[in-house]
Amino acid sequence: MISMALYKRGMEGSIKLLIIFGAILTMYISIIINMYDPGMMETLDGFMEAMPELMASVGMKASSANLLGFMVSYLYGFILLVFPMLFCILRGNALVAKYVDKGSMASLLAAPVKRRTIAFTQMNVLVSGIFLLVFYSTIIELICSGSSFPGELDITALLILNGGLLCLHLFIGGICFLSSCIFSDTRYSVAYGAGIPAFMYVLQMLANVGGNAEKAKYFTFFTLFNPDGIIAGESSAAAGIFMLFAGAVVLYILGIMVFERKDLHI
Amino acid sequence: MSVIEIKNLVRSYGGGKGIFDISFKVNQGEAFGFLGPNGAGKTTTIRHLMGFLKPESGKCTIDGMDCWNERDKVQARLGYIPGEISFFDDMTGTEFLKFIRKYRKTGTQSRKEELLERFELDPKTKIKKMSKGTKQKLGIVAAFMHDPDILILDEPTSGLDPLMQSRFVNLVAEEKEHGKTVLMSSHIFEEVERTCDRIGIIQKGRMVTVDSATALYKRHVRSYTVTLGNEADAKAFAKDFDGICEGTKVTVTTKQSLEEIFMDYYGGGKND
Repeated sequence: MISMALYKRGMEGSIKLLIIFGAILTMYISIIINMYDPGMMETLDGFMEAMPELMASVGMKASSANLLGFMVSYLYGFILLVFPMLFCILRGNALVAKYVDKGSMASLLAAPVKRRTIAFTQMNVLVSGIFLLVFYSTIIELICSGSSFPGELDITALLILNGGLLCLHLFIGGICFLSSCIFSDTRYSVAYGAGIPAFMYVLQMLANVGGNAEKAKYFTFFTLFNPDGIIAGESSAAAGIFMLFAGAVVLYILGIMVFERKDLHI
Repeated sequence: MSVIEIKNLVRSYGGGKGIFDISFKVNQGEAFGFLGPNGAGKTTTIRHLMGFLKPESGKCTIDGMDCWNERDKVQARLGYIPGEISFFDDMTGTEFLKFIRKYRKTGTQSRKEELLERFELDPKTKIKKMSKGTKQKLGIVAAFMHDPDILILDEPTSGLDPLMQSRFVNLVAEEKEHGKTVLMSSHIFEEVERTCDRIGIIQKGRMVTVDSATALYKRHVRSYTVTLGNEADAKAFAKDFDGICEGTKVTVTTKQSLEEIFMDYYGGGKND
């Protein structure tokens, strides 16, 4: 079901991006966790008062009681959403649509390998990359909080939270993968694969501002990922994560089916 | 026994473009030349054989297996040179050939070295920096190195210099001697003349003619009878032009080259 040669090539293509995003995430996570300081919270609350809409739009809410709450406010609204999302967009497009657009897909199809195997392998490359990014972020979070604030972090809650984050990114990856399988032209593959998640994220930012704009939350899948709810153990938050995961599975299966059936002018 | 079989294949792109009711067979151990001007539908037909496109109607089979539904099984015995070569630009030729070997799961039994030598190809450079001809050579090596039984070659000599073209023609002739089945599209008449047993001509998506190469020539023989002033002149004329002398009358015959035959069909279409 999986072609090892192709998987290896795909992972080699992911390495550069994984290192870059890994470095960015290391920097942000370590800086932000080390900013946690009950005294410092007052300064940040000062920012909240000065420009509440701007801070809220990127998911930063006032006074979070503990370290995990602080991390949710400052990491899970922007940094941990946007960078893995960029990875999904870039790799999702490159793994299928780019091969078709350039014509090099012919080299992959002119071999006794099923199209299903090719698509499934490329899907695995994307999912592996997403998994590595989320896994790496978790490790960095654990190391930074463990060294700076030993015993302060609720580790179980963090692991559950990051499980939810993984489902969100698998879903985003699913959108990118499906659009990559549907379109034979990278222009359209990028337009949909990047456009849909980016637009949804903008809606999420709008909804965070509150007021009338809060209705926007009904139109974006980001609402399904609710970090505060996950930590509080709300069943609606668990349902949201389940929907993201189920949605991701459907999107990947659809992508593989589309690729299996489509005409390729290569 | 026919290995490649196309039956009433149709694929319409609208506006008269596409291929319409294409049918032909290629037998075991036979080389079939697929001739036609640019845009006639050669590559579209080949894409159906490769399982890249699903027929709108009609059927293509290779070895009795459907080219769309059983394409991965069909591919196991196939060697393919694409009409427009596009490999992985980020790799060197060596890396690409190694990738294809692992991807196809061909063992170490490979004709790679022999082929690299034959085409004087040094695959160590990045594919991105290779010239058209070098990429074409790489495509030939990639298509032949796993020693396939059936070869589908879409304009295989484009970009090659005349010396390499003739080496390629020799390679195809050798493969044919070994019982391989070859389908070769081309617009170079000489290589088709030299290698193919049968020729199909396609024009505007329709097969104009499918016949053996020899029959195609015979059909296009023209003879002229010339009357000369005296018998001595007639004899000299007959000798110079390879004609048959009867008194002062000399009959000479000319065979049209494949190119002329082709232009007859092609040009005729233009005047429609």
